Amino acid sequence: MELLDKLTILADAAKYDVACTSCGVNRQAVKGQLGSATSAGICHTFSADGRCVTLLKVLLSNVCSYDCAYCVNRRSNDIPRATFSARELAELTIGFYRRNYIEGLFLSSGILKNPDYTTERMCEAIHILREDYGFRGYIHAKAIPGTSEELLVRLGVLVDRMSLNIEFPSEKSLKLLAPEKAGESALRPMAFVRDGIKANYQDKRLSTVRRTRFVPAGQSTQMIVGASPESDYHILKLSASLYQRLELQRVFFSAYIPINSNPLLPATSEVSLLREHRLYQADWLMRFYEFDVDEIIDEEHPFLDPLIDPKCNWALNHIDQFPVEVNRVPYEMLLRIPGIGVRGAKRVVCARRERSLRFEDLKRLNITLKRAKYFITCNGKFADGVLFDPLSIYRELTRQAKGRRFKGVLDGQLSLFDEKSEPAPTSAFSLPASVLSSPTSVLPAALASASAKPAAQPATLPPAQTPILARRAS
Amino acid sequence: MSLAVKQEGRGGWDRGMDDVQPVYLYDGTLEGMLTAVFEAFRRKEEPLNIVEERCLQQSLLCSYIPILTDVAKAERVRNGVTTTLGERVYENLKQVFLSDDERKGGVIVRYLLYTMRKGKRACSHLANPAVDSFEDVLGQVAKEAHYMLQFVRFAQLQNGVYFSRIEPRASVVPLIMGHFATRFNIQPFMIYDARHGLSGVFDTERWWLVDARDIQEPSQTLAEDGFQALWQTFYDTIAIEERRNPTCQRNFMPKRFWGNLCEQVPPQLRNIRPKTTTPTVAARLGAPSNAAPTETTNLLPAP
Repeated sequence: MELLDKLTILADAAKYDVACTSCGVNRQAVKGQLGSATSAGICHTFSADGRCVTLLKVLLSNVCSYDCAYCVNRRSNDIPRATFSARELAELTIGFYRRNYIEGLFLSSGILKNPDYTTERMCEAIHILREDYGFRGYIHAKAIPGTSEELLVRLGVLVDRMSLNIEFPSEKSLKLLAPEKAGESALRPMAFVRDGIKANYQDKRLSTVRRTRFVPAGQSTQMIVGASPESDYHILKLSASLYQRLELQRVFFSAYIPINSNPLLPATSEVSLLREHRLYQADWLMRFYEFDVDEIIDEEHPFLDPLIDPKCNWALNHIDQFPVEVNRVPYEMLLRIPGIGVRGAKRVVCARRERSLRFEDLKRLNITLKRAKYFITCNGKFADGVLFDPLSIYRELTRQAKGRRFKGVLDGQLSLFDEKSEPAPTSAFSLPASVLSSPTSVLPAALASASAKPAAQPATLPPAQTPILARRAS
Repeated sequence: MSLAVKQEGRGGWDRGMDDVQPVYLYDGTLEGMLTAVFEAFRRKEEPLNIVEERCLQQSLLCSYIPILTDVAKAERVRNGVTTTLGERVYENLKQVFLSDDERKGGVIVRYLLYTMRKGKRACSHLANPAVDSFEDVLGQVAKEAHYMLQFVRFAQLQNGVYFSRIEPRASVVPLIMGHFATRFNIQPFMIYDARHGLSGVFDTERWWLVDARDIQEPSQTLAEDGFQALWQTFYDTIAIEERRNPTCQRNFMPKRFWGNLCEQVPPQLRNIRPKTTTPTVAARLGAPSNAAPTETTNLLPAP
């Protein structure tokens, strides 16, 4: 078979793996050897689906002895099969790398015979690339569940990042849909890799260069969203514990795309990209915004609101902590304002040392006020036209939920979100039902009890304990 | 590159409202720019802009003052900036100078007039218009340089040299050569900036810049067609049809770069195509997935 056709088959078979990152490791170039790695990673192109391409993502072989229901490469699928030889793969990687097409290699594989045999073949291919070709670029390898620990060590010292897919958020689903991959067997090797990374860092006999050699860029995992009945709550709880207990670098979510028809799988034609997007937003809040998973989602509202992002949702549920005065609040609170990111918060902290910031200044700091304006004051003043009232903010924010992405949700077609009871899109944003039904007399109970003014102007009332702030113009 | 220069008054300089703000003319070199900055300090005035002589578009509302480049004065500015504000700020200044933005002269001089007076801490006064517009241009140049780290595509020529053509919106070749020279230290290469007529050349030992206004671009070799076909095939295959999202793609990879990216050559114009096609490739070709098998050749050179 021609190399071009092999590449087509093996890239096609690998494309459902989400991870495509080349970050987490800084490796200086060495004279006489090809390649280096920068810790931020570099995306070299973006495919038609908008995903970044940074690594040559291929399978070593798409021959597989497993028969997982969701997978394109399952044994029982009648598709063309191919296998790279170690030399072919190395030549291809080096050729692409020299032309600045890629940052390195992402190698996964179907299960040839058994996990150990497969991992050995992968080690062999990567070894040739590292030793014979002196390649110092990035390598991400997929570890196969069920591989022996000796082989994981062998693989771990060759690669930068290792990942083990847990595939499904619960063991029950995994057993049902991927019977050959038992749930336990993904978590145990992950713990083993974690311990290896730790031991490596702590081993004082190794020089600093060698100390970071075992999986220096850490490990990641991936789970499929929408093929099994688990809720967002379940998924986020699981990923939080993966970050905390197994010290993963990344947890990827992959919206289920129906490839195989199987009575065990949902027969939807809809790809739940919006749900995947919301999960990633929640994931970012946990990793970069110092949010705890229980602040983002709770058991009573097990699905994230499709219409607004989780941060807005949190802010609306904790409206008593707002509005905040950008010139005074600490950095941690700035991070919690919807629409202000890590970069924006740092810029605010930096800029407000010189002068007290006005809304024009915030614009100059490249802070988008689209969402932030509802939750902040500058020198005690709201932005023009802002009505500080949770329900009207919710309405304003969801008004922006237009376009292709929201199609299914707005029509009420997407059954995933409104399975519970209400016909309207349900949300984790928990205003009392009475408030939702009578929008004219809007006033959450907490605000109402603290108010001394007549209910005719409910929106102007600040929460208890907060000093009365200057109202919006008009 | 468009930049909304956010101007607020004229700073603290003691000037009447009827004064016409002068525009300085310089010769296009960094030394010339620094000399002009020196003159602004010496004359105690804030020029509206510092423009390259040959790019000048005269306006009746400005008075034009040609500045004669003086290396000694430029050196004094460099010393002043590095001692008062630090080496880093001088590096930033050089980076801003690489920008294509025609307002960069004014941006630099306003930044220095403000920060030199206020001291090093003023460099973090991000809400100040002078600092903000400087940081804006600096960010744009850095972004353009990063785009080039992403989107440079080398093609191997017959003589073994790897060649790349780029058209960045800032003259960033000097900023990116270090990255490529260390990473690809075993291969001689050349990065040709067609927009600025500048080339970076690396010979496996050291790199240097060459003025290259009218070079004849080389034609590529047959083996190169093979690698490009492999890359194009990989690129087309890796996309998931059900997730197609061209807006997202263009946000990350603006179309202005596509002309120099081999994976963006439309399939109809390619010489080599795979026999096996996937749904994604088929959709791109606009044909059913088993169509259009063409001859393929062995693509890799023999080891």
